[in-house]
Amino acid sequence: MNLTLLLIIPLLTAVGVLFCRNAQQVRWLSLAGAAVQFILVMALLFAFYAARSNGNTDAFLFSERCMWFAPLNIQFITGADGISVSMLLLTAAVVLAGVLVSWKEETMAKEFFFLLHLLAFGAYGFFISLDVFTLFFFLEIAVIPKYLLIGIWGSGRKEYSANKLALMLMGGSALVLIGMLGMYYQSGANTFDLIRLSEVHIPYATQLQFFPLLFLGFGVFTAIFPFHTWVPDGHSAAPTAGSMFLAGISMKLGGYGCLRVATYLMPDAAAYYAPYIIGLATIAIIYGAFATLMQTDLKYINAYSSVSHCGFVLLGIGMLNQTAITGAVMQMVSHGLMTALFFAVIGMIYQRTHTRMVRQMGGLLKAMPFIMTVFFIAGLTSLGLPGFSGFVAEMTVLMGAWQNPKTMYRIATILACASIVVTAVYILRATGQVAMGPLKQHDEPLNDARWYEKLAAFILIAGIVAIGVAPFWLNDLITPGAKIIMQKIVSLSR
Amino acid sequence: MNTLITVSLLGIAAMLSEVFRFKKFIQTVFIAAVTGATGLAVLDWGTSYSYFRFMVLFDDYALAFSILFLVLTLIWLLLSQEYFCNENTRADYFALISFSLAGAIILSSFSDLSMFFIGIEILSVSAYVLAGSNRSDIRSAEAALKYFLPGAFSTGFLLFGMALIYGATGSFNLSNISLWIIANHSNLPVMVNAGVVFLITGLLFKIAAMPFHNWAPDVYDGSPTPVTAYMSTIIKAASFAAFYRLFVSCFSIMADWWTPLLVIAAAITMIGGNITAVYQNNLKRMLAYSSIAHSGYLLLAVAAINQLSKPAMLFYLAAYSVASLGMFTLVNRMGNEQQLDKLKGFAHDNPFYAALITLLTLSMAGIPPLAGFFGKYYVFLSSIRSDLIWPVIVAVIASLIGVYYYFRIVYNMYSKPAASAHVVSLSGFDKSAILITALLTLLLGIAPALIADII
Repeated sequence: MNLTLLLIIPLLTAVGVLFCRNAQQVRWLSLAGAAVQFILVMALLFAFYAARSNGNTDAFLFSERCMWFAPLNIQFITGADGISVSMLLLTAAVVLAGVLVSWKEETMAKEFFFLLHLLAFGAYGFFISLDVFTLFFFLEIAVIPKYLLIGIWGSGRKEYSANKLALMLMGGSALVLIGMLGMYYQSGANTFDLIRLSEVHIPYATQLQFFPLLFLGFGVFTAIFPFHTWVPDGHSAAPTAGSMFLAGISMKLGGYGCLRVATYLMPDAAAYYAPYIIGLATIAIIYGAFATLMQTDLKYINAYSSVSHCGFVLLGIGMLNQTAITGAVMQMVSHGLMTALFFAVIGMIYQRTHTRMVRQMGGLLKAMPFIMTVFFIAGLTSLGLPGFSGFVAEMTVLMGAWQNPKTMYRIATILACASIVVTAVYILRATGQVAMGPLKQHDEPLNDARWYEKLAAFILIAGIVAIGVAPFWLNDLITPGAKIIMQKIVSLSR
Repeated sequence: MNTLITVSLLGIAAMLSEVFRFKKFIQTVFIAAVTGATGLAVLDWGTSYSYFRFMVLFDDYALAFSILFLVLTLIWLLLSQEYFCNENTRADYFALISFSLAGAIILSSFSDLSMFFIGIEILSVSAYVLAGSNRSDIRSAEAALKYFLPGAFSTGFLLFGMALIYGATGSFNLSNISLWIIANHSNLPVMVNAGVVFLITGLLFKIAAMPFHNWAPDVYDGSPTPVTAYMSTIIKAASFAAFYRLFVSCFSIMADWWTPLLVIAAAITMIGGNITAVYQNNLKRMLAYSSIAHSGYLLLAVAAINQLSKPAMLFYLAAYSVASLGMFTLVNRMGNEQQLDKLKGFAHDNPFYAALITLLTLSMAGIPPLAGFFGKYYVFLSSIRSDLIWPVIVAVIASLIGVYYYFRIVYNMYSKPAASAHVVSLSGFDKSAILITALLTLLLGIAPALIADII
C-alpha cells in the first residue's frame, strides 16, 4: 500500500476540478475523487489489519522515505500507525460527506471544490508525514483554504471571522515552527525525522523549553483554552462544508500534532506539564459546555460544544496513560464524525428555513422527518448516548482519567463527567425547540433531504454507529499506537 | 567579467541608437544582450577571476547574483512594455536600465571599496532619473527629488565611512582591510568602529530599512509603476548583495560588535514595515511598505553572518523579487489610482490569473509550499544557528502581521465588484509575466534545492 497515493488523488482531483467546464462536471469529479480517497483509505485499513495480524510489529507501517531538500536535511517520510489510520478514515469520511453536502454550490463552484480538495490534501499529508518539517508544511497548507472558504463563501461577519481564524491558526503554526527549529538544533540530532528524534533523548531543559511552544501551537488548532476564540466565529461564518472540514478535520490536526510531535518526542516535558494541560482541558470542557447554554444560533451551539468536546481530547492526552490516550484518539474520530454530521444537518436546515436561530424554528419534525432524525442522532451522539460513538470515546477517556489517583486529577475527572449533564441540557433543549411544537415557518417550502444529503448523512451515521456498537475494531487499531507513546513516557520518566 | 562588459556596451549601444537610428530594434538588441550576458555568466560558473588589479572579483557569489539581476530584468521587461512604447524616450530608458544593471553587477562583484562606491553611484544615479521619468506627472518629479536628496545624503555617509576605514587600515582593498582588522583585532582604533557605523547608516538608507526608510514609500508610490518594480526588486537585491559582500569579507571578525545594530534595525523594520502596511488602502503603497518589511528579514540574514546566510539571502531575494514582479504587473494595470477596492471582481473576470496572483501573494506572506516560505525559513534557520533567537521570534510575529494584509489583497480580488466599477484587465504580456513568476514561485517552493545551495 503506497501512502503517497493519498496525496496524489486529492491533488489530481483539485487540479482536475480547475479544468472542468461546468458545475455539473465539477461535482461529479469531486465526488469521484472523494470516493476514490475513501476506498483507498478503506483498503489501507484492511491492509493495516492484515499486516498487523501477520505479525508485523513495526511502529509505523508502509514507511517510505526520500530526500526532499538535502542542504537543510528535510526528508519526505511517510508511514502510518493505527492512530494515523483512524485519522485518515475520519478525513476520508468527512471529505466525502462534505462534497455531497455542497452538491448545489453554484457560486464559483470550481474554486470552492478546489479549495476543499486542497484542504483534504493538506490533512492527508499531515496525517501520513513522519518528518516534522513536512508535517508542519502540510499543516500550513491546510490553513489557507479555510481563510478563503470563509472569506468568500461564508456568511455573517465573514471577513472578521476569516481573519481571526487565519491569524490565530497561523500564530499556532508559528509557535510550532519555532518549537520545531529549536528541536532541530537543540536535540543534537540535527534532523526532522520523527523516528530518529524519538530515538534520541532530547535534553530535559530543551524539552521544558520547547514543549509548551509545540503543544500550545498545535493546541490552538484543537481549541485549547484560552485560544479557542476562533472556533465559534470561524465555524459560524463558514459555509456548511467549510464548517464540517474545520471541525471534523482541522481541529483534529491539532490533537494529532499534540500527541504525535509534542508528547511523543518530549515525554519528560509532557509529564512535567501534564497538570497544566489537564487544568486547561478541564476549563475548556466546563467553559465550553456552559457557554453553549447561552447560545441561540445552532452553529454557535455546535461550535461551543466542540470546544467542550475537544477538551476531552486534551484531557485524555494530559492524563498520560494508555487508556486515556486511546480514548483521546477515539474522541477525535468520534467528535469529527459527529460534528461534521451536526454541521451538515444545520446546513440542510438553514437552506430550507433561512435561519439558524433556535427560537425562530419549531415543529420541523413534521415538515422534514429525515433531516430531523439525523439531527436527533447527531444530538444524541453529542450528549453521549450509549450505542453511538460519543459515549464510547468519552467513557474511555474518563476511565483512563480515573486511573490517576492524584486528587487534582480526580477533581478534573469528576468535573469533566459533570459537564455531560450540561451537554444533555443544551442538546435536548435545542433539539426539542427545533423539532417539536407548532410549525413556525409557513411561507418557506420545507422539502425533505435530497439524495446527496441523505447519502452524506448515511456515511457519517454509519461511522458513528460502527464505533458506538462495536468499538473494539477502533480500539484495536489505536491501542498499539498509544502503547508506543506510553512506553516512552514510562521508560524515560522513571 | 564578460557579463559586465556586455551590459556596459549595451548601455552605450542604447545611447547610440538615438544617433544611428536603430531605436526600433533596441528592444530586440536589449533582450539579446541580456540573454547573452546571462549565458556568459553561466559559462563562467565555478571560476573565480580577479580583474583591474584586484578591484573586482567574479566568484560564484558575484555570478549567482548577476544571473539573478539579469533574469529578473528579462521578466521585468514583460510588465514594462508600455513604459517603453514612447519612441522619444525609449532609447534613454534602455540606456539607463542597462547602466543601472552594470552598477548592480559591480555591486555583487566588487573587491575594493572604490569599486563599491562606483557601483552604488552608477546604480543610484540611473535610478534617480528613472524615478522622475514620467515627466507629465508631478508625483514622479516629486519622487525623483525625494529619492535624490536622501540618496545623495546617504552616499555622503558611505564615503565618510570608507574614508575612516581607509584612514585606519591604509587600504581600499577588501582582503587587505580584512587582514588588517584580523591582525589588530584586540585593539581596534575607534576610527574603524566609526567607519563601520557610517557604512551601516549609508547602507540602511539605500535598502530603505527603518529608521532610514522615510523616503521609500513616497518614492515607490510616485515613480512610474515599472520603475517601482525595478527599484524594489533589482536595485534592492543589488544593495543587499553589496551589503553582505562588504560585511562578510571585511568585518566578519568583528561581527559581535555590529550584529546588534543590524538586529535592532531588522526588528524595527520588520515590525514597523508590516504594521504600517496593514493601514494602507492603496496596493502600491502597501507593497512599498511590504518591501520595507522584507528588507528587515534580509537584514536578519546579513546579521546572522554564517555559512547559511549567503544561500538564505540569495534564495530570499530571488523568491521575493519574483513574486514582487508578478504583483507589480497587477499594480501596473490598475492605472493611477491603485486602491484595493479596484481589485473587486477581478477573480470573477480572470479566475486563472487571480489564482496565480493569490499564489504570489501567499508566497510573499511566506506560506508553504511556495518560494517565499523557504526564503523565510532559510533566514530563520541561519539566524537561529547564530543564536539570534529573539529576533526570530520578532520575525515570526511580523510575518503574522504580514499575513493579515496579504490576505486582504486576496479577499478583495475574490469579492463581488461594486456596481459600475471598472474591473482591471490584463494584456498578453501581463498574463505571461504573471504566469512565469507564479510558475517560478511554485517551482522554487517545491524544489528549493535548485538555487539554495549553489553558493
